[in-house]
Amino acid sequence: MIETIKLRKDFKEKTVVEDVDLYLDKGESVGLLGPNGAGKSTTISMISSLLKPTSGDVKLNGESVVKHPSELRKVLGVVPQEIALYQELTAYENLKFFGRIYRVPKDKLETRIQTTLKLVGLKDRQKDRIKTFSGGMKRRINIASALLHHPKVLILDEPTVGIDPQSRNYILEMIRQLNEQSGTTILYTSHYMEEVEQLCDRVYIMDHGKVIASGSQSELLSILSNEDTMRVQLNQMSHSLVKAIQEIDVIRQVEETGDGIKIIAKKSTNLISNLVKLADQQNIKILNFQMENPSLEDVFLHLTGRTLRD
Amino acid sequence: MIPVFLAQLTKECRNPLLLIIFIAASIGATIIFTDGTQSPTTVSIFSEEENARSIEEKWEPLLNEDSDMRFVITDSEEAREDVQQGRADLAIKLLEDDYRLVTTSNLPTVAYVDQHVRKVFEKEATIQSAIEQSEDAEGLRADIETKLEDPPMEMEVDSITGDELPNYDMGTQLMFAFTLLVAMFIIGFRINNILKDKVYGLWDRMILSPVSKTGMYTAYIAYAFFIGVVQTLSVILTFKYVLNYDIGDRLDLLIIIIAFFTFSMVSVATLLTGLVKKPEQFYAIYPSVIPIIPLISGAYMMPGTISNPVLTFIADLFPVSHAMDAILNVVMYDGTLHDITHSLLFMTLIGVVAMGIGVNLVERRKN
Ligand SMILES: Nc1ncnc2c1ncn2[C@@H]1O[C@H](COP(=O)(O)OP(=O)(O)O)[C@@H](O)[C@H]1O
Ligand SMILES: [Mg+2]
Repeated sequence: MIETIKLRKDFKEKTVVEDVDLYLDKGESVGLLGPNGAGKSTTISMISSLLKPTSGDVKLNGESVVKHPSELRKVLGVVPQEIALYQELTAYENLKFFGRIYRVPKDKLETRIQTTLKLVGLKDRQKDRIKTFSGGMKRRINIASALLHHPKVLILDEPTVGIDPQSRNYILEMIRQLNEQSGTTILYTSHYMEEVEQLCDRVYIMDHGKVIASGSQSELLSILSNEDTMRVQLNQMSHSLVKAIQEIDVIRQVEETGDGIKIIAKKSTNLISNLVKLADQQNIKILNFQMENPSLEDVFLHLTGRTLRD
Repeated sequence: MIPVFLAQLTKECRNPLLLIIFIAASIGATIIFTDGTQSPTTVSIFSEEENARSIEEKWEPLLNEDSDMRFVITDSEEAREDVQQGRADLAIKLLEDDYRLVTTSNLPTVAYVDQHVRKVFEKEATIQSAIEQSEDAEGLRADIETKLEDPPMEMEVDSITGDELPNYDMGTQLMFAFTLLVAMFIIGFRINNILKDKVYGLWDRMILSPVSKTGMYTAYIAYAFFIGVVQTLSVILTFKYVLNYDIGDRLDLLIIIIAFFTFSMVSVATLLTGLVKKPEQFYAIYPSVIPIIPLISGAYMMPGTISNPVLTFIADLFPVSHAMDAILNVVMYDGTLHDITHSLLFMTLIGVVAMGIGVNLVERRKN
């Protein structure tokens, strides 16, 4: 439905987005995951026709939208990263404003506003001014404002930044509903991998302006399929043991945790017996031993050597 | 476009205090500053030279000749104290051939008195220097006096209607000057909403909607225009009908002038908006630039007081000097539409040029 071709953006000398190819199929829910400053917002500004790419193209059903954005804008709803609302107006007035500028027919506007307010769970607060709302409520109205014209594609830029877990779950659930029940195509941007894991069919991982990995979650996790992550609980901590373990050739990383160590290693048959032997030699007891499922966070760590929130 | 306009209006109605304060301030300032402006009835004069008596006696009749003010010889201590205590706006200290103003304020009154006194001194200096060349000093003086009374060549100064030239009313001029100043502030702040809404991301949201960019600019500009006209008119009508100021009978012409001025000023504000990056910068720069404009336009002073060509040139680039010209023409000299066409054209020109450059600059900030 929407695809980008070698999308690139330079600000002065600095390249902020480079060679980004991504696509959204109808009805999909796609995540764009990356740390702060990765270039996510810049990318979606170009996709939504707010920012002209330095080079590359954005296509809607095969037609370039960079020169003629109007077809795209008709089907698009964008939830910006910032709270783009009139703080002095009430929730209802804000929604009415966006409904009107999106030319929602007059006879439908009132019901649309009410159903949208219900969807975001703020029907009973509609007469209150935005500036009296909590962060989470503002975020919800920020999303609601992009829904009044029933967009076929919804782009959300970090819609859960800085809010309480309850509001966050509410928002995620709401987006899932839009995707599953109304068939809205979703492009969801975040630097929280749990959200993307929970919500998205496919994921693009961005870092330093480039897409460094993409695919369904299982595809991404299979990047780590020839590695194991395990937690080993010890009766006492020993630096010489850590050193000795690092010597084993299949070991990629050893990390001290509170009560033991976390190990990432290539899959191998005799790793565990090796560990036990080394611990025995130093008179250290292994109290517990646990294999961990890798997460997207681990994928990112594997690809960049950094965590998402570095 | 209409929803954008209405959103601004609703916002204003939610928070009308600022607008009300502005309107009240311009009315208040006019009343305070014009109180007794026209001509103070008496002005103390004194001298502290050695021959104080003779100096005082020489100038007292000259100053009082041809003036509706009364210049009274006063003890120097007393005169100074009156000024210090605020009982008098000013006093005049006489020297042999010169004078000094004793004042703590720069109220328009002071400029008004100063103008009269300077004229008297200059005339006397001219006569003096002529006499010095002459044998028959007394005869020549008498001759000059009669010539001045009844000059061989005369320049007729008539009002357009041929009536007596009206007494110049500084109070009314100040009223308009303050009103326009406050209008400039309000218009500027409203145009700055474009920048504010850009920072908050509202602008981008509107761009993504079916509203055209022209429609968006039109809405903001129309709103600033609307609020500027509402403010100016409510002040002027208050003065006319509540405080009974004499602003002439041509309210229609005044409304036309205000409309042209507001349009022109909206454009200038748009231009200034285009020159800054952030709304905060606008808040810092605009209020420090704007009050200077009417000052160098001479809006607070008797017409013709400012004659520095650089200052008048700068002032002419802003609409307020043309608006004041036109308003004074209508109010004081019963000017007609024909008489103010020139000023209206100037304001239109400023408006069109500034709007063109301004909108382009605001757009350029985008990428
Ligand atoms: N208008 C701009 N001018 C210059 N640099 C910019 C501009 N917008 C964004 N950047 C830079 O581009 C990089 C990516 O920004 P952004 O797309 O907002 O990242 P993200 O949304 O992933 O946090 C950042 O380093 C940011 O400083
Ligand atoms: Mg961002």
